[in-house]
Amino acid sequence: MTKLQPDSEFKPIWNIRITLISALVLVLVAILAISMGPVALEFTKIVKTLLGLEGGLEGRERTLLLQIRLPRVVLGALVGAALATSGMVYQTVFRNPLADPYLLGTAAGAGLGATIAITSTNNSFNPALPIFAFIGGAAAVAATFLVSGRYFSNPGVLLLSGIAVGSFASAIQIYLQQRNTEVLRPVYSWILGQLTVSDWNDVKWAALYIFFALIILFRISKLLDGLMLSDEEAFSLGVSPNKIRIIAVVAATLATATAVSVSGLIGFVGIIVPHIIKGITRRVTNRALPTIALAGAAFLVLADLGARTLIAPAELPIGVITAFIGAPFFLFILRTTKGGLK
Amino acid sequence: MKTKISQILIAVVVFAAVIFAGINFFQSTSTEPTAQAEPEVSEVVETPALFPVTITSAGFETTIEEEPISLVSLSPSATEILFAIGAGGQVIAVDSLSNYPETAPISQLNSFDPNVESILAFNPDLVILNLNSMKANEVREALDKLGIPVLMEQAPDDMEGVYQEIRVIGTATGKLANAEELITQMQQRRAEILESVKDVSPVNFFHELDNTLYSVTSSTFIGSVYKDFGLINVADGAEGADQSGYPQISAEYLVSENPQLIFLADAQYGETVEIVSARAGWSQIDAVVNSKVIELPADIPSRWGPRIIDFYQIIADSLK
Repeated sequence: MTKLQPDSEFKPIWNIRITLISALVLVLVAILAISMGPVALEFTKIVKTLLGLEGGLEGRERTLLLQIRLPRVVLGALVGAALATSGMVYQTVFRNPLADPYLLGTAAGAGLGATIAITSTNNSFNPALPIFAFIGGAAAVAATFLVSGRYFSNPGVLLLSGIAVGSFASAIQIYLQQRNTEVLRPVYSWILGQLTVSDWNDVKWAALYIFFALIILFRISKLLDGLMLSDEEAFSLGVSPNKIRIIAVVAATLATATAVSVSGLIGFVGIIVPHIIKGITRRVTNRALPTIALAGAAFLVLADLGARTLIAPAELPIGVITAFIGAPFFLFILRTTKGGLK
Repeated sequence: MKTKISQILIAVVVFAAVIFAGINFFQSTSTEPTAQAEPEVSEVVETPALFPVTITSAGFETTIEEEPISLVSLSPSATEILFAIGAGGQVIAVDSLSNYPETAPISQLNSFDPNVESILAFNPDLVILNLNSMKANEVREALDKLGIPVLMEQAPDDMEGVYQEIRVIGTATGKLANAEELITQMQQRRAEILESVKDVSPVNFFHELDNTLYSVTSSTFIGSVYKDFGLINVADGAEGADQSGYPQISAEYLVSENPQLIFLADAQYGETVEIVSARAGWSQIDAVVNSKVIELPADIPSRWGPRIIDFYQIIADSLK
């Protein structure tokens, strides 16, 4: 574990340039995403519309840009930021490079919570959905953690526990779905993991919960670095490990649950993005959380762009794209960390 | 050694996860919505001049200002109705499953999972959308924001619902007179067909949706057609197990019920009389013994358009 310790004597812990580059990439990807679609819009007019200048888009095209494309891109960015950040936080808390909201069962648990909310209110999105998803997600993480017991830092044990818990949650969810066929349609459309029709109302609620969770995580990023050490060392640095752990898991689960409740089950973002940032910077620190959030946002906006353009005018579920990239990447991480398996 | 075992374990788990993701994908692309919303009686409010007109259909109100000339249909049934009432010329695009009639301007538009922007690319002045499409309500609202009226439709419960949808589509396209004429023709043909078999004693039957024995109960639209003949649906025995009206029947139950007639709605997916006759236990079923297994033509039983009368004819022929 000591190899994870940032060698802070020689280099600054975090280099702000990487953060700026990530922000720039996000802006570029977002511009690309709002410029592309089945209906061709003139690029200069898009820019003018966004900046509120004269001569922008009008009428139907304006509505298309501002009410249909833009909320989708913003929501994609929020979901990506939430999933990537919680991935990094889970990896830190569980001292496990393969921890991911999807593999820990959080997503499936959140899915169950959301299904309960949908089947009881017959509405595809409502403000209570993230809360139900959060309760489901939190219960699933707790279950995974309890099932793995003291072996939670062993990737294999944690993964198997997460898969078992996730399968259990999915089984209940499918049962509920079959018993409530009148709401099968909203549940299905939600499970498929798509951002197809998002409006500002979805974005508003998702942003509220996700920003709240991310700000907490950013603020405790220094303390999270302490968790990478052994508990004894962390304690000697003045960090109460379990307290930080609980706050971090609660916040990360809230972010994941909100993401799941608006976008369905999208896997692997929480693994791919933190590892890419680690790989580029060769630093392992939670000071990178805002950068990981930005990179995650860019990654998901790009994946969503792929989802709606690769086989246009049909759409691919976005989860297919992230799994297509993520699964081989996951194997790669697994190979490189096999020394950690005991 | 221990390391090796856990490595193998991990490999298995990852493999399973990848396969699972793949299965999820294919399921998600092939799953049909089977849910049906509560039936609501559609009503048509007609003004003396044909347009503007306000129509209530499938629980939603739609106002159409002028006669539509570039209509997008995202329902194969609605497409068949549009062309049957002479409104085909007003249609600019139909979804990828609207394969009938052949003259329909078929496009790549997805009716199961509609994409607002792809619809918008056709610049339509009216869109017909099924209530059971994914995010139907959100798609309707998004198109509404773009100033495009959306006519919602839903699978009917019975023939009255079919006639009602024909009337609604006739009103929306300014072809109500043609629609009424079509309805009269359909009613006459249906009455003649039912009359021709009224002396046949009711027997039990099995309507097969797929080779895992999903079926339809009498509460569904397809089931209502059989009910018109007074036939006994073996799937009704499974009604309590599944509220959707589309239960999965166990093979054992089916053999013990011994249906006199079997209708293969999955003939369009490759099931044949020979294949089903060779299934375990099926050689004992009377329908198989008496060669009363009927391969249904593609799409006819599942669409609530004018061709549904052909389905009546097929059932009548099987009873003679």
